[in-house]
Amino acid sequence: MGNLLDGEVAAAVRLQLENHLSHCETCQVLYDSARKTLRIVTDSGSFDLPEAASRPIAEKIMARLRETRVNTNRDPDRS
Amino acid sequence: MSYLRGVEVSPSFPPFAALRDYFGFVPYIYRLQTLVPHLIEAEAELARAVLVEDGALSRIRKESILLAVAAANRNLYCVAKHYQTLQLLGVPERQAAQLLGGYRQAGLSQADEALLDFAIKLAGEGHCISQQDLAGLGAHGLTDEALLEVILVTAWANFLCTLSVGLGAKPDFESPEIPNQVLERSHAIDTIEPNRGPFLRSGPDDDKTFAFFREEIGFVPNLFRAQTLRPEALTAEAGMVRVILLKDDLLNRVQKERILLVVSAVNCNAYCVAVHSEILGNLGIATEHTDQVALDYRQANLSVADEALLDFARKLASAPAQFSGSDVESLRSHGFRDEQVLEAVAMTAFTNFLNTVQFGLGAKPDFAPRLVLRPAAKIPHLSGSESRPTEREGPPDPDAESVAKVQRGDLDAFEELILRHSKRVYRTLIGILGNPDDAQDAMQDTFLKAFQHLAGFEGRSKFSTWLTSIASNTGLQRLRERKPMESLDDDAADQDGGFRPRQIRAWTENPEQLYSRTERRSLVEDTVMKLPAKYRVVVVLRDMEQLSTEETAAALGLGIPAVKSRLIRGRMMVREALAPHFLDSAKGVAT
Repeated sequence: MGNLLDGEVAAAVRLQLENHLSHCETCQVLYDSARKTLRIVTDSGSFDLPEAASRPIAEKIMARLRETRVNTNRDPDRS
Repeated sequence: MSYLRGVEVSPSFPPFAALRDYFGFVPYIYRLQTLVPHLIEAEAELARAVLVEDGALSRIRKESILLAVAAANRNLYCVAKHYQTLQLLGVPERQAAQLLGGYRQAGLSQADEALLDFAIKLAGEGHCISQQDLAGLGAHGLTDEALLEVILVTAWANFLCTLSVGLGAKPDFESPEIPNQVLERSHAIDTIEPNRGPFLRSGPDDDKTFAFFREEIGFVPNLFRAQTLRPEALTAEAGMVRVILLKDDLLNRVQKERILLVVSAVNCNAYCVAVHSEILGNLGIATEHTDQVALDYRQANLSVADEALLDFARKLASAPAQFSGSDVESLRSHGFRDEQVLEAVAMTAFTNFLNTVQFGLGAKPDFAPRLVLRPAAKIPHLSGSESRPTEREGPPDPDAESVAKVQRGDLDAFEELILRHSKRVYRTLIGILGNPDDAQDAMQDTFLKAFQHLAGFEGRSKFSTWLTSIASNTGLQRLRERKPMESLDDDAADQDGGFRPRQIRAWTENPEQLYSRTERRSLVEDTVMKLPAKYRVVVVLRDMEQLSTEETAAALGLGIPAVKSRLIRGRMMVREALAPHFLDSAKGVAT
């Protein structure tokens, strides 16, 4: 079913699965709810780092890099 | 005589004292490695674990295997060394001489004869070893512990042979003559079937070295899982991995991984090729490139020096009789220092060791091998584009220009890369760590590491893929530090099949209409945070970050089947948790 959700099954297998789904109510419910789950998870925008958070982090990283570079330049053995 | 310069080491150097204890003298082969003393230390440990430690086989039996394999490999240095050692252990010279080729007429017990037959086949044609060979030895009363020792000793014999050739070691003692023997090497088979084992039972699926492997390479290869019956050998092998492979100060890690890949391909060891392709993938090297290196590195656009390095390793592994000081000279002329040449020799020898162990154990592939390796043409010279591995020419990397700028020293261009990729890195990390503060913290480490290693980034994979692997490794390392119990590498639960959906009521037609996007987001985030890490991370990378299954597998150092099975479990857990919020109140139970 994972492959079916991801559209990764061969046409023949897909037909068989769909045929089974049309007869089996439990599988139908499972497949339908799994499909909806996937949609909700994908579209929820979860764990999206806010724009406002990314710049300060970038600045912190750049500050550390510039600091390291200054130190490295001072000490030629470490280059 | 030797090829490399040495340095003076105090006679009280502890590994030398240990070696004197094991052999009665410090064999020349170790004294030739004083440029990199850690190597001697790690090798002495492995010699102790494989040879000296009391186990199921006696020391004399082990030394007999070493001698017979050295003679079959026609290695004068090793023959002289093991011949002498056997005599020091009290074996009469006449008896030792019989091991040089005529052991079938030496009146050995059937078990000993079968043992030597097996060892010689494993050493020279490991890819032909099958379950039957081991069952045959089992029929002579050898336990799985004893068989594991036979395999390790044979692998050690191959290690020493390669090492002595690469170093140009002159024998410590006068070598007895090796009779010309016709070896029955006629096990011609076309294609190697890698998935045959494991041949032996293993001990408990746990060992103190497992944490080391998880930490350093992201997973515990089955090759090591299959050796838990001999934990001291595992510890020593982990020590070798640490000293030979993971150190980055002489040859760099990618150069060493490539040696592993090329020598394993020459040896037709599909298992090791697959493992090291994965590891190279985790180091940011694209699959297509890795496949090309394994199949024919001369077509892989390597630098001239890197190509020379692989010529050197391949020749040492596949044609030791033709190897000479001029091969070492050739590496020097490409700018390699003697320390680096020594490392290349040790890496090649250790690859032969690992390949031999894998052939003997039939360790199951951790990743499905992609390449078909044929012993008849060990290095096929591909012609034209038709025989190249499938090209996956994607669109050009949108980050290429910024990356090049940073590589030329433009620091500001790196800030652009951070801003462009911070969301992806953050998602990867939160997927692994399950906590926003930790994820933001680990983000800094990720970008700092990426910056440090950017000089070595050759653009063979997309920058974003490479960066995701770094994020993933950074996250996994933190996860292990924080919760040693929470592992991504525990596949027992993948197979338990115990997960049964409990919620089997129909969902409402448009679940999105029941809650606002913000509500849905916090519902999903809460749910995903509660998943065990191994499921959480695949759900986040695959369904939120929308990486492909292959990219997810590469980023996490997992196989594709593992990603698929964890994804389905993870999605089903999310479905169970979300179901109560989205049920269709109009419909009843649907069973």
